[in-house]
Amino acid sequence: MDSVKKLSRITCIVNRGLTPSIVENLNSIGIINLQIATARMLKQREKKGRFGMGSEMIFIEDPADIISFLVPSEQERAALNPIADNGGRSTPGRAMVFSKEVQLLKAHNLCHENNVDSNLEDKTLGLRTDLTGICCIVQRGEGNHVARVALDTGTCVPGITFGHGTGVRDKLGLLRITIPAEKEVINLIASSYDAEAVMDMMIDVGKLDQPGKGFIYLHPIAEGIANTKVTLGIPKHAASMEQIISEVDKIRGNTTWRRRTAADNEGDSKQKRSYLENLTNLIFTCNEGRGKELVKIAMQVGVAGATIIKLRNHHPIDSELSAISPAREECHMFVSENQILNIVDALEKEGGFDDKTHGQLLTHPILKACTYLGA
Amino acid sequence: MATLQQAAGKIKVTFKQAIGMLLPYVKNRVMEQVKSVALIIIYLVLFQTIVLQMGIVDASVIAVGLSLVVVGLTFFMEGLMLGLMPLGKLIGTKLPQKSKLPVILIFAFVLGIGATFAEPAIGILKSAGSSVKPWEAPLLFLLLNKFSNYLVYSVGVGVGIAVGFGMLRFIYKWSLKPFIYILIGGLIGYTIWAYMDPNMRALTGLAWDCGAVTTGPVTVPLVLALGIGICRIAGGASEGASGFGVVTLASLFPIIAVLILGTVFLGSVSKPMNETAFFSKKNQSKASSLFLSKEDLIGYAFKNASTESQLALFGEDKGEMLAYLKKLKTNKVLRTAVFGQESDAIENWAALYGSKDQQMVVFNHDKDAIKEAATYYARYVPPLNISDILKRNGFAAVQAIVPLTLLTMLMLVVVLREKLPHADEIMLGIVFAVFGMFLFSIGIELGLAKLGGQVGGKLPSSFMSIEMKEQIRNITNFDKGVVQTATTPDGELKEFFYLKTGSDYEEVPYYANGHDVEKGIYSYTPTKGPLYGSERGIMGIIVVLLFAFIVGYSATMAEPALNALGLTVEELTVGTFKKAILMQAVGLGVGVGITLGVAKILWGIPLIFLLLPPYILLLVITWLSTEEYVNIGWDSAGVTTGPVTVPLVLALGLGLGSQVGVTEGFGILAMASVCPILSVLTVGLIVTKNRKKVVWESLKSAPEGGTT
Repeated sequence: MDSVKKLSRITCIVNRGLTPSIVENLNSIGIINLQIATARMLKQREKKGRFGMGSEMIFIEDPADIISFLVPSEQERAALNPIADNGGRSTPGRAMVFSKEVQLLKAHNLCHENNVDSNLEDKTLGLRTDLTGICCIVQRGEGNHVARVALDTGTCVPGITFGHGTGVRDKLGLLRITIPAEKEVINLIASSYDAEAVMDMMIDVGKLDQPGKGFIYLHPIAEGIANTKVTLGIPKHAASMEQIISEVDKIRGNTTWRRRTAADNEGDSKQKRSYLENLTNLIFTCNEGRGKELVKIAMQVGVAGATIIKLRNHHPIDSELSAISPAREECHMFVSENQILNIVDALEKEGGFDDKTHGQLLTHPILKACTYLGA
Repeated sequence: MATLQQAAGKIKVTFKQAIGMLLPYVKNRVMEQVKSVALIIIYLVLFQTIVLQMGIVDASVIAVGLSLVVVGLTFFMEGLMLGLMPLGKLIGTKLPQKSKLPVILIFAFVLGIGATFAEPAIGILKSAGSSVKPWEAPLLFLLLNKFSNYLVYSVGVGVGIAVGFGMLRFIYKWSLKPFIYILIGGLIGYTIWAYMDPNMRALTGLAWDCGAVTTGPVTVPLVLALGIGICRIAGGASEGASGFGVVTLASLFPIIAVLILGTVFLGSVSKPMNETAFFSKKNQSKASSLFLSKEDLIGYAFKNASTESQLALFGEDKGEMLAYLKKLKTNKVLRTAVFGQESDAIENWAALYGSKDQQMVVFNHDKDAIKEAATYYARYVPPLNISDILKRNGFAAVQAIVPLTLLTMLMLVVVLREKLPHADEIMLGIVFAVFGMFLFSIGIELGLAKLGGQVGGKLPSSFMSIEMKEQIRNITNFDKGVVQTATTPDGELKEFFYLKTGSDYEEVPYYANGHDVEKGIYSYTPTKGPLYGSERGIMGIIVVLLFAFIVGYSATMAEPALNALGLTVEELTVGTFKKAILMQAVGLGVGVGITLGVAKILWGIPLIFLLLPPYILLLVITWLSTEEYVNIGWDSAGVTTGPVTVPLVLALGLGLGSQVGVTEGFGILAMASVCPILSVLTVGLIVTKNRKKVVWESLKSAPEGGTT
């Protein structure tokens, strides 16, 4: 394969109100080709119970945006800088941003990475390198139920977006209308030591190892900060928990001190779970409307299905990039290494990288995945 | 997972597996609709039986009708989700990508006009106008009857222009707020001016109601999906729920269109006058111009006007009138022009409405025949004409959905040369939608509207006494000897007698004018009420107002278009603005609006005092709110008054109005449209304030800079 580039994909999940200023900051350092997906952030708030008895936790859902873009690996820090600088990103536990190493397999000419103008590299950003990302795809309506694991364990504030799935469903003829295709995609970052435990808890809560319930996987993160302010409520102490955690992280220089032992996790799974390994996440981004057909082509060469997320492409109006449609789709497929070549060829033959589609194909390794594996 | 399955064509599913998949799916959908409709049904039934203490007439027919509503709604909503909305989204994304601006605007305009003709709402308004008298409100009468086509056209053009402007707004990213300020400001000004002229004043209620009813369950999803698609293509950095705002425009432009139409015809119509003057020979040419023909005018006079007016028609010459009637008996053509097509139309009319002399002429001076006819036609209830119902509703359902979808599909396939993805799903969706609307309209007609009509007609009994005309009784061989006398606390003498019905002895008041001594027959019409408090007492009126509020709230919960809007809002905001919250806010708003509308009828408050203050308040709140909530709030109000609310509200209005003696019942729907905007925008202000705090905090904690 020619020119497989190693790039860095940076994703940040922020409150919708902050998006314009972040986008402006990014533009000012040369990052002009961005993708934004509408999402929500889930937190909980402690509320005084009825008649002053006890207290209960209620969900708070805030509108959020998931902003992602590509830069060369060397420019990763420089690109992370403006996000971290903006609006108190450095305030302990308020931001969620992470970078992951991806490979750009093939793309339309216009769909390339950004080039950062500045050389600024702030060493005091507080980025952690021992984080793992958890991504979980569930049926619409289940999102909050599964995502609250992150809140209950104090892991981080999850970002949830909507998607729709294709796969088995599309082979059923008209009966497919009885199976809902709408999905929710949950994004979390956890400390690498905890990630597997959190994933297990999510599988238990969402019964993700049962048929049709969903898919969950761990993926490696190069650097990132997690938003650990999971609970809003009446402050009971001089400092909030996430502020303390952040300071101790700083003092210790890592998050190893936070590692939980097996005894801390309530109710471990009774049976050994079998996980899927050696999978790769194939991310194909294209203009809206083309996703379904191209996924179908990919399915013909062995892909089981895909989850498609709608995004908007944000680029300057008067540049060559404006040929790309602002309405884009991101198709996530999970394949094994040996299938990739065939998929790339099939997509290319079907016009996946032409001017009508403006396709872009990335790969990203998956550490561990779990779903229904049965007969 | 990926490695396990090889993609190979279709999967075969056994019959048992298929049923296993279909059953939960069907059950889910049906239960959803049952939940949304249950509230209004249970409420109406309980109110009639418990509060008004009256049984439900035709209970079995109504029960069938109500179940049809549930089934019909299920199919319709599913059809919306499977067929109409995807179609709209498709054309919304493809159209701006592949066509130039003029094509987009023309399509939007045609869509708007087509949607108006498709929706049955205008027809419903016409039936509401059946009680409008041509001498009290000539212009209104003209536009509702002879020129009702022009009314529909003007509304259609208004909606077409609105949809066009709406699309333009998305492409150029204009805010909705200036549109609202200009339109509402202009409307308020126009309405105040119209209030000065008595003819135009009567029209304002209709105009504002027309705006309220336009966007119905077929237009809204299509227009919404189209708008969302265009917004996605037009792009933009900070998008919340965008794609909304067209429904708002489509509710405001028609009001202007109708007012303009009224202004155009103002000159050709006489001023309001009293009944006899209207029918006099002097006014005859102007009067006839309000009808299709002179015969039509005469027929109307016979059926609806007093005897003096009928005489006035014939130049005060009784002989001439009676001679004319006699001529009608033999001349079939003339008779059809005056009384309509039924063979016994003239006998029907004479028995129920004719004066003694007129009855003599029609029945050839046969007194027995007159008496017989009187009883027969008083009790006569036309049987349920099933085939007519099926044909009418079937045609209406097809008319509502098929032309619009055909237009959209043609646009996609022919002009834009796009393949229809999942064409089988879309076709199934359209079939579901048509079938659903068919069942649902029948159900409304046989069930909900009937029930609403019964409750509405008897509702005034809670605060005043009303006659129960359908329970008229004739007692034969009446012997005056059974009549006794009672006295009131003021010393007034009242007569009554005992009537044995079954095993009970009932007290019946005796009025001399009900007693036909010659024939020995006593006719008696029972009255009911006031049930709560004294005549026109405040207790009874509160019962009515409370009833109105709950009807408004629960009917709104059942509206399919609002459901579709709520789902779309929840989808676009990724769950941060829940459909349930939107529906509750709108429901509350509609409840308050309908209560105000009923108050208008009860106390005869001029519409302008009820309409203008909320709109002015709205302008202020709109200015304070964010663009996102302004779009959603104004749109959700435009969506409310739909196929469930409108028949109920109209039945309520007509029932109340006829008992209280008010001429026209317009304006309730307009009130039901303005209050939800207030409630949603208020909710929006509260939510935005909380969210802003969070963002402000984040921004504020920057000071020490990156100190980690």
